[in-house]
Amino acid sequence: MKRAISVVALSIAGLVPVWRYEPSIGGTTTSASTSTTEPAPSSSATSSSGTVVKGTTIDTDKGPVQVQVTFDGDEIAAVKMLQQPNHPQTTAAVPVLIAETLKAQSADIDTVSGATITSDGYKESLQAAIDAKG
Amino acid sequence: MHRVEHVMGFPVSLRVDDEGDFAAAADAVFGRLREADARFSPFRADSEVSRLDRGELSVSEVSPDLAEVLALCEEYRVATGGAFDVRLPGRGLDPCAVVKGWSVQRAADLLSAAGARRFVLNAGGDVVAVGGPWRVGVRHPDHADRLCTVLEITDGAVATSARYERGDHIVDGRTGRPATGLLSVTVVARTLTEADSVATAAFAMGAEGAAWAAARPGCEVFVVDAERAVVRTPGLPVAGEPSATA
Repeated sequence: MKRAISVVALSIAGLVPVWRYEPSIGGTTTSASTSTTEPAPSSSATSSSGTVVKGTTIDTDKGPVQVQVTFDGDEIAAVKMLQQPNHPQTTAAVPVLIAETLKAQSADIDTVSGATITSDGYKESLQAAIDAKG
Repeated sequence: MHRVEHVMGFPVSLRVDDEGDFAAAADAVFGRLREADARFSPFRADSEVSRLDRGELSVSEVSPDLAEVLALCEEYRVATGGAFDVRLPGRGLDPCAVVKGWSVQRAADLLSAAGARRFVLNAGGDVVAVGGPWRVGVRHPDHADRLCTVLEITDGAVATSARYERGDHIVDGRTGRPATGLLSVTVVARTLTEADSVATAAFAMGAEGAAWAAARPGCEVFVVDAERAVVRTPGLPVAGEPSATA
């Protein structure tokens, strides 16, 4: 059980960033739980559908966040937000990531950004070709 | 003017398109980078970083510059839940990931102060671009001679953290193991201090790093994950797209 709890704590820590980018659906927020501060993991219950664990309430700069995780054995079966901030900026500041396919192209460019190349590797690099043009 | 010199073990290319003589300013740029290397390299036994690590200096005795660097390191450690960590167990203090962006940005600021209005400074793949539009290609993770996107930067910085060049060298501080969730993270930000730190930190976080970096105010992101899927922010200034306004 101790191992399960550490997994829960990690999962919750991981979820705090996740909700920040999640587009708000219909502008509503949930507050299924009225509790604001509970020591974590505050409670767990086992039923035929799995173990349900409530996470710690974590204070973020946008307000308190608390999740409930349902385990099926060692695997997370469901995650539910018990508390999330009802803050107008969470909707306005939500960046959305766009999926694309990886393209390979050549183009006329002024400079190249990439992982740090060593001075040895530089000779063969695109940037060296650009620098050689002057 | 176009100059290439090697500092800190990597090539630094400077191109200044302004009329006038910027040779002295360029000397100052390269000089500042060498100075940063001498003061903050963990690979030099007499650097301030090495002396701090050996306990010959206390945190309260470090220079204001190193204090600023260490504060940035701590900020990113907390913001990434420990994934980005310059004090890994069993290793010496290594603030290189922050020092690089920070020192290159400060070097670029010397050029602006000297009156340069249109220049691009590329330090081993990390770019400060001023007075553009400048076309900044992002290296394809699989093909060293190809690009995976082209950005158009007017005033800003571009940094890329990736696994293809020096192998698995970025460690996830939460696990102590190399971060392998992402192949390449490119961040566009107002300064290289921020772009480089955010790119490295997101890389250390792995799969969740893309969304984390995208949520940093003022950061635009282009990420290739280990399965070669690409995600990017809608505001990324891709050349030829309407969003190319950075």
